[in-house]
Amino acid sequence: MTTSPTRSLSRALARVTGASLGPYQTALLRIGLSFTWLCYLLREWPNRRELYGPDAPWSWRMAHELIGDNHAFTALMWSDNPAWFETVYALAIVFSALLMLGWRTRTMSVLSMLGVLSLQNRSVFIGDGGDNVVHLMALYMVLTRCGQVWSLDARRAARLARESADGDARGRADRDAWDVPGIALWTVCGLGLVLAQVLGDDSMTWTGEGPLPGLSWPVTLWGLWAVQGLWWAVRRHAPGEPRAVLDALAHLTHNAALLVIMAEVCLIYATAGWYKVQGSRWQDGTALFYPMHIDYFSPWPWLSHALAASSLVVLLLSYGTVAVQVAFPFTLLNRRVKNVLLVVMMAEHLGIAVLLGLPFFSLAMIVADAVFLPTSFLRRLEGARRLLPPARGRREPVGPCPAPRTPAEEEADGPADAPAAVPGPGRRTVG
Amino acid sequence: METDEARERAGGAAGPEGLSLPARVVVALGVAVVTLAVTVHLAMMFLHVAPPNTVSKRHAAEIDDYVYPEFEQNWKFFAPNPLQQNVAVQARAELTGADGRTTVTPWADLSARDGADILHNPVPSHTRQNELRRAWDFYAGTHDAQERPSGLRGRLAEQYVRRIALSRLGASQDGRPVERVQVRSVTTPIAPPPWSDEKADTKPVYRVLGWWPVTTADLAEARNR
Repeated sequence: MTTSPTRSLSRALARVTGASLGPYQTALLRIGLSFTWLCYLLREWPNRRELYGPDAPWSWRMAHELIGDNHAFTALMWSDNPAWFETVYALAIVFSALLMLGWRTRTMSVLSMLGVLSLQNRSVFIGDGGDNVVHLMALYMVLTRCGQVWSLDARRAARLARESADGDARGRADRDAWDVPGIALWTVCGLGLVLAQVLGDDSMTWTGEGPLPGLSWPVTLWGLWAVQGLWWAVRRHAPGEPRAVLDALAHLTHNAALLVIMAEVCLIYATAGWYKVQGSRWQDGTALFYPMHIDYFSPWPWLSHALAASSLVVLLLSYGTVAVQVAFPFTLLNRRVKNVLLVVMMAEHLGIAVLLGLPFFSLAMIVADAVFLPTSFLRRLEGARRLLPPARGRREPVGPCPAPRTPAEEEADGPADAPAAVPGPGRRTVG
Repeated sequence: METDEARERAGGAAGPEGLSLPARVVVALGVAVVTLAVTVHLAMMFLHVAPPNTVSKRHAAEIDDYVYPEFEQNWKFFAPNPLQQNVAVQARAELTGADGRTTVTPWADLSARDGADILHNPVPSHTRQNELRRAWDFYAGTHDAQERPSGLRGRLAEQYVRRIALSRLGASQDGRPVERVQVRSVTTPIAPPPWSDEKADTKPVYRVLGWWPVTTADLAEARNR
């Protein structure tokens, strides 16, 4: 079969505007990263005031001075009241837990991101590579539909679909259209934004600094808020073509964000690998001997020293690390090699978690790697999980996250809406 | 990468084909904007992590403007070479007694205290693993050999290290307030592996800073309230 360039281009366009690809991968990223951040926040609960609060050696005043210079976003600069700090920390925990569960995923991804930025930007010198990964991914995740599967949102969509199939169409339509918790959440977020602009600092001025040059935080946040409202209104009042256009744009945004996430993981490995190639210790094969003897990174010295005692083991691990990191981006061209490398990299990060005492960094990296896991494997995981509890009804029809669609809707809307339909199980995003 | 779903889709009305012209224009505009945004973003990220090169040197200001503060990243883990020395930060205090006489405490190894906390701890706290370690890196990166700070960051780094030292030593000892603190670093090179024929001097190197008077701004804010 020969395909002309225009045909393959239009096919590619149909693909990226027709479905939010990688529903399992993005769901895993959502669950994994919010789990990592949640565990970190809970682990540091006793130390929270020293890290980001009133007891921090990096005082509020010092943070204020630095942020006046670098313009990072943190809600903690809105007030130096300890009660405000406690509120923000507690909210960060709640938001990450709700994002992990996939409750109102679109809203929670934004709120959880604000929690991550608020804490991390308050004390920039306390983080490590793991925090950096969580920070970037929290930003990117806002633009992905990461709640299509394995979320409370997906479960609610499935329940609504079931009810409509059972002939309870009227009740379903009412509840779906009004969606009281959703409207309440949206209203509260709007009020919160108003309050933040009235009471907040310079970061909440319309022309202030934002996530990207020329895009201030109020514009960004109000924009996201408006999209949510628009989505609801279109779903309710213009279910035909406007809805199809919004769907296509949402798929497009999701796919673009997923591409950026994947590219970011490749950048991480490429940077880590290519810079090592130039290092004399990585060349002579003794590099990994040294971290095993750094006090800050040896919680189990006997284990580290035992591993570092063999010249051959150190050589193989050092060369292996560089080879895998440099090779990874290229192995994406070959599904099988990519999967082998994924296993190797995850194993290495497990080793790092224990040997170097970096569990949160390692967990974040393993989750980032998991974006490249094959869909068939993730579906098998889901299948294995479903064996455990007795299956509660059908879980098959799973709608895209912000506006879960039901088969009934699909039928009612006609073929113009076909892009919104979630394609069958055979989908493969990666490799 | 021709997959079955592409073929599957070819049958149905997938993508923008089924839409009216205005709708297709909107989607096409979306595609253009998103494509441009992704291209710019990935280019910026790449130029930020790549070594300084022809392009990134020419557009340094634009790249920094785009990347900082929210997209800053550093992935040079143990690269180009891993750290080959243990850096310990130590501090001592000058106390003033009721009679006005001053005494100097012995050096306290703050990094060793961190180490003791990290030992056999599967989930070390950032307060032990990163706080002092990164504060010292920050200080070292913003001060020259004469301990002169460079700009705002240098000044902040100095205060940061001082406040960490004070929070670890305590604002007073036996009822005697700490009037001044002194900080030093002890850098001990890690001996090369036993199978290596390299000879390395593992004698510790000291970097001793001057005495810093303690101001109220240096004491933990909670205690000032």
